[in-house]
Amino acid sequence: MGANAHTRWSLDGSVGVIVLDNPPMNVLSDDNRRGIRQALAEFREAGARAVVLTGAGDRAFCGGADLKEEEELTAETVDRFLQRGDETFRALREYERPIVAAVNGWAMGGGLVLALWCDVRVGSTRAKLGAVGVKVGLMASNVQLSRLLFEGRARDLLLTGRTVEAQEAHRLGLLSAVVEPEALMREAIEWARDIAARPPELTSALKRAVNTALDPVGAGAEA
Amino acid sequence: MQIVEAAGITVAIVAGACAGSDVERLLEADIRLAGDGATFSVSDVRDPVACAVRLTRLLGEAAAKELMLAARTLDAAAALRVGLVTRVVPGGRLGDEAATLLQRLRALPPLALAAVRDAVRAARVLTPAGALALEHDHFCRLVGTEDHKAAVAAFFERRDAAFTGR
Repeated sequence: MGANAHTRWSLDGSVGVIVLDNPPMNVLSDDNRRGIRQALAEFREAGARAVVLTGAGDRAFCGGADLKEEEELTAETVDRFLQRGDETFRALREYERPIVAAVNGWAMGGGLVLALWCDVRVGSTRAKLGAVGVKVGLMASNVQLSRLLFEGRARDLLLTGRTVEAQEAHRLGLLSAVVEPEALMREAIEWARDIAARPPELTSALKRAVNTALDPVGAGAEA
Repeated sequence: MQIVEAAGITVAIVAGACAGSDVERLLEADIRLAGDGATFSVSDVRDPVACAVRLTRLLGEAAAKELMLAARTLDAAAALRVGLVTRVVPGGRLGDEAATLLQRLRALPPLALAAVRDAVRAARVLTPAGALALEHDHFCRLVGTEDHKAAVAAFFERRDAAFTGR
């Protein structure tokens, strides 16, 4: 259906599939950021009812932002850098249909953020999740983890930046299923098809309802 | 599914299939127990959107989306993993385990129990500051009750206390 230097996307029946293809670690590039947004726009146009997002190869789902790119950020460029990331994350969050992440290997830093903004995550036994922001003196994935998990678990992962292997991620609820690597895409497509088989207006309403359920009543009135 | 009340606390006891409006009643209970043969399905609840909001507050976003979007049937082990029930016991022991739990609830000081129940329910819709203020209000009231004094005395005398709800 479409591709750029680091991203390709296609339609499998009513399910759109996006592959981050920047091996070996699928480090997040501007081509990925643009590719995800373009793919979602094309899927919307084509009437896709669910989407699967995955990484190429079996080492990484997404290794996060390019540390060399981060190192060169200045006071003048950092805003624009964060904004580019946010535009992409928001596109996933606000996309009308549910998005399933097929976590085929490492999801760390910005790559974890990408996976966490998807609606459902399934992983292979090689999946490894790391909220590694703190390890490089930064902060990432705190907003998502505090919503997906309850506070105690979120603090553990965010303050240590430790690696969460597939089985633990399943137990914590960060992965909804764990399967052998060769079965991962089949599993992810199956989740997406189960979602696509339900009334599309209902699954969209459910996604919206869950996205906003934790917003405090009268948000902004209190710190 | 059975909903039993003890000292104002509702306990849901799930032995078999829990679906439809039973799921909605399950989510309103304070404590949820299941036998290992229990199953859970949200596919035909009356108000799916309200159910999604309730589940998000109860379990967090990840589990709520896992349950609501694909609407697959969960077995007891999966329900325990996502936190939909907090305890799973062998089906044959479910009645005894539930009876023990209800008895324990009835042995607690009723005013404090009701205050905790109300504060936890209210915390779903309050900001952290609001929840803390509510907790302080409850504390100030409870510290003056006869039951609190009875509990402290019983603790130092190493015996069980009898509570009156005053």
